Amino acid sequence: MINFILRRLAIAIPTLLLLIVITFVLMYSAPGGPFTSERPLPPQVLANIEAKYGLNQPLWRQIVTYIWGIVTEFDFGPSFQYKDRTVNDVIAQGFPVTLTYGFLSFIVAVAVGVTLGVVAAIRQNTLIDYLAVGTSIGAQVLPNFVMAPILVLTFTLWLGWLPGGGWEGGKIEYLILPVIALSTSYMASIARITRSSMLEVLNSNFIRTARAKGIPERQIIIGHALKPSLLPVISYLGPTFVAMITGSVVIDVYFSTGGIGQMFVNSALSRDYSVMMGVTILMGGLTITFNLIVDILYAWIDPKIRL
Amino acid sequence: MLLDTHDVKELSANLAEMDEIKGRSLWADARNRFKRNRAAMVSTFILIGIVIFSFVGPYLAAWSNEEIDWSVLGKVKELGAPSWSNGHYFGTDDLGRDLFARVVQGTQISLMVGVVGALIAVLVGTTYGAVAGYFGGRIDSVMMRIVDILIAMPFMFVLILLLVVFGRSVFMLFVGVGLISWLDMSRIVRGQTLTIKNKEFVEAAQAMGVSHFKIIFRHIIPNLLGVVAVFATQLVPLMILTESFISFLGLGVQEPATSWGALINEGAATMQYGTLWQLLFPLAFFIVSLFCFFFIGDGLRDALDPKDR
Amino acid sequence: MKHFAFGLTVSFTALTLAATAFAAGNHPETGEALAETQVFTYRVLDEHSSVDPQIVEDVSGSEIVRDLFEGLMNQDADGNLVPGVATDYEVSEGNDEYIFNLRADAKWSNGDPVTAHDFVFAWQRAADPATASPYSWYIELMSIQNGAQIIAGEMPPSELGVEAVDDLTLKVSLTQPLPYFPKMVTHATTFPSPKKVIEEHGAEWTKPENIVSNGAYMLTEHVPNERSVRERNPMYWDNDNTIIDKTVALVINDENTALARYKAGELNRTEIPTGQYPSLKAEFPNQATAFPRLCSYYYTYNLSDSGPEAFKDVRVRQALAYAIDRNVIVENVLQGGQFPAYTFTPGATAGFDVPDVDYAGLSQAERDAKAKELMAEAGYGPGGEKLEFDMLYNTSEAHQQIATVMSQMWKQKLGVEATLANLEWKVFLDTRGNQDFELARGAWCGDYNEASTFLDLVDSGSGYNDGKYSNEMVDQLLAEAKTSKDPSANYTKIEEIMSAEMPVIPIYHYTGSYMMSEDLRNWPVNNVEQNWYSKDLYFAAN
Repeated sequence: MINFILRRLAIAIPTLLLLIVITFVLMYSAPGGPFTSERPLPPQVLANIEAKYGLNQPLWRQIVTYIWGIVTEFDFGPSFQYKDRTVNDVIAQGFPVTLTYGFLSFIVAVAVGVTLGVVAAIRQNTLIDYLAVGTSIGAQVLPNFVMAPILVLTFTLWLGWLPGGGWEGGKIEYLILPVIALSTSYMASIARITRSSMLEVLNSNFIRTARAKGIPERQIIIGHALKPSLLPVISYLGPTFVAMITGSVVIDVYFSTGGIGQMFVNSALSRDYSVMMGVTILMGGLTITFNLIVDILYAWIDPKIRL
Repeated sequence: MLLDTHDVKELSANLAEMDEIKGRSLWADARNRFKRNRAAMVSTFILIGIVIFSFVGPYLAAWSNEEIDWSVLGKVKELGAPSWSNGHYFGTDDLGRDLFARVVQGTQISLMVGVVGALIAVLVGTTYGAVAGYFGGRIDSVMMRIVDILIAMPFMFVLILLLVVFGRSVFMLFVGVGLISWLDMSRIVRGQTLTIKNKEFVEAAQAMGVSHFKIIFRHIIPNLLGVVAVFATQLVPLMILTESFISFLGLGVQEPATSWGALINEGAATMQYGTLWQLLFPLAFFIVSLFCFFFIGDGLRDALDPKDR
Repeated sequence: MKHFAFGLTVSFTALTLAATAFAAGNHPETGEALAETQVFTYRVLDEHSSVDPQIVEDVSGSEIVRDLFEGLMNQDADGNLVPGVATDYEVSEGNDEYIFNLRADAKWSNGDPVTAHDFVFAWQRAADPATASPYSWYIELMSIQNGAQIIAGEMPPSELGVEAVDDLTLKVSLTQPLPYFPKMVTHATTFPSPKKVIEEHGAEWTKPENIVSNGAYMLTEHVPNERSVRERNPMYWDNDNTIIDKTVALVINDENTALARYKAGELNRTEIPTGQYPSLKAEFPNQATAFPRLCSYYYTYNLSDSGPEAFKDVRVRQALAYAIDRNVIVENVLQGGQFPAYTFTPGATAGFDVPDVDYAGLSQAERDAKAKELMAEAGYGPGGEKLEFDMLYNTSEAHQQIATVMSQMWKQKLGVEATLANLEWKVFLDTRGNQDFELARGAWCGDYNEASTFLDLVDSGSGYNDGKYSNEMVDQLLAEAKTSKDPSANYTKIEEIMSAEMPVIPIYHYTGSYMMSEDLRNWPVNNVEQNWYSKDLYFAAN
């Protein structure tokens, strides 16, 4: 176990380094720089600005300085676009926001998705089952950039129940719409996976044995069938969580939550190199961590797997 | 917008338990079982219908996909609604362009992105996985470490970067989307190759001095086809969804060409202004097609799975 | 020395009314009943770049800075100069030395007096290479002595030609006579900044907990990418006449969502999405407003060596420009009351006489006929070569609509094949700046209300001249206009040359079209630069 974790961590370092280098190279090969503007700056002014941000150094040197700053002081540099702030500021503000609604969406998606899947499996081939399968596929394919404006129009404009956006430090009424918009499609996927694996487990020999022994159905499902049928769900969770965080740009755009997704897209478009790097590294780290957690969880639930 | 690889893994495990697949009977069996799956069959027909529509559509349309109906421009809300009389069967978009023609053309692009993207991923993934699994040892561990590293990359971020750097084009879409989805494929294929390569028929081929290359392509890959086919049908809708997200970011195909994602995005933007048809028609095509792909994918998996027999 | 004093009457009424202020809840001048809550909430598209007056470079940031800080001069609702921190100014005979007299009651939000030294500090800071201000060139543009050398790092910032004669007198020395200099000090770059605070907090000084400002408002909250809040500054010298208590800027990326939230009552002001003005105007006649802006929308030909051969032929350039039916674009696509453009400079520009350019007077049918003729003469179209080119624009729904309509007009009328090519903003700028295009979109908003801010773009030496148009006559007229007492004849002449040579295709002149709460009053619709100040707005009771 310890060995496994160490091995994974050992891979994490080259992964992050590679990510930094790839991002740096891609970033710099993109046409236009952070200070390209509609009104081109006079060369002297541009030179002053580039000197301030160290952009006049050779690329390798910038990379080394950058990594050194992170390793020694955990300093990701100043934002080129938001000149009042550093990347640490930007992330410290946006990441908790994304994490909050991302985590809530995750919980909702798993809780509702698993319940729906289990119910559909138990009532296989009934109306409930068809309904659950149908809506979950529908929800899975309805893009959230369609869902988000529908939610705003319905709950803000027509019903007037909820604010159409903003964050306000994460008050509940500001959270509801983003969480619905973000969780629905993943909830649907989880429901489908749960249903199919539950069906498989319910048809397996040990459940048949349990039934033959006359154990009540409820107990069979909760006590025996649930745990093994969650295995495939768990392997799905790591990527889900990461995809939720990275896919949060739609939520940020429509609900003006001020999260990290919109920041990344913005920084990529405006060539805010340092913010772009910072967010990419954060996401890389998050992806690695989550995959690790899921693997450990998986091993814990499924005794067949040895790490 | 995520792939559930569990089904495929399960299937590949079940398939690997069998001895060498007797090509014809497996596929013939599968075909029969697939035919009995009503949802999958209906989906297949609908999908064929949509494909035909995308090719025949241009001949049915009264307008081209880029032509502006000047009499509608500026009064889309009043005059742009679907109508038989002026030839705009699906109504017009915000610029007075015929939505029917645009949906037809968008269908072509989106289906192509889905199919070609999936194909690239499958080709690369299968070859990569089969090579790694077949040769094993150091080659295998290096190749799989690379996959481990790539899988830990925040894919969406890299994709956005790529599109920003290289500009938008359908080709970049394929590359971008295909870039990540082959990783899962290669892992699954490698796993199955590991079991297959110890089977007698492979050892026999090796003993006869058949070249590695030939063994991989003649003996190993054909035995992987079931898994590959199922995986591919699951990839197609994923590709289409990814394309729609990219269109949302404004990084999709170049005007005047369009895609489902671009059309849906435009329709969603004008939803509150009383031109709902701009959203509903492309969205209907999008959702129905994805439904079909899901059902076909499920049907194919069930049909190929020897365990359910 | 000539002496300029402003708005004596205004200050006088302000003084007398100050005592009674809003006890009765009525507006001091109009007597209108005021609303109970005076909170103004508006939408901005993107997060602002900075609220540091010397660093800020974007429009939404400047709006905030104008509320937080006050410069020597302000603008009124019509764009005229009114006193800010300076009560009046004197100018030397040669127009190259200005003396500003500062009011004694101006204070920073921490209670310190605002002095001429604060301005000296701020202006030196703007020029200082160490500050790396993206607007440092503005100091050079203002022609302040030694500005250029300081920016180039050849002289220390202390050498800048600005001096605090005493606490309340600021003297500026210019390298050349600049009759419009006082207009330039309404720009954010010239606003004072608090030396003590900057030295204490460094780059962190603009955070709400640190910032000290001298304007009518103080920054009290800033959640990046979500909101920024500015509230009444009790130390502001004219605080008694300020009605709006609090202004909130909400970042909302999607304009349609913003409109939905406006309709739901969450906002007092938002932009109207393209094409929605007429229906919103019909539905909310008192809320949808459109007014002229100092901006031009155009397409520029690449006339450099890398440009296509066809565009070197003036007949082709004219034909393409003539065949665009601007009324369709303005009335059927944009539908926001924009003005069809036949000249590059908007007609709303102060002191600009719109010349009678020949094609403006024709009907569209006549223009089309002329265009076909010109194309045939040039050897393109039916019987000749087929004209094909790429038209470049940056990714945006509205630009795409206009480009689509233009290309269809050309295709149908002239048989010209224009391929649309949209690029993401920075790539677009880079491509256009490197003359790597054939025809490219452009838009220009005036930096100040004078025709030269537009026409400088076609100066062959201008860094903004992406089409590389060059005409000695134009260059000469522009150079003369710089120092001329009445340059408007020059500007008219340049526009005439441009319409004959057609280096750019003017498409339309902008309007600002907004949804604004019915009871929001005093929005400066006549200020074509749209320099608005929260302190001048108020909500009437309804």
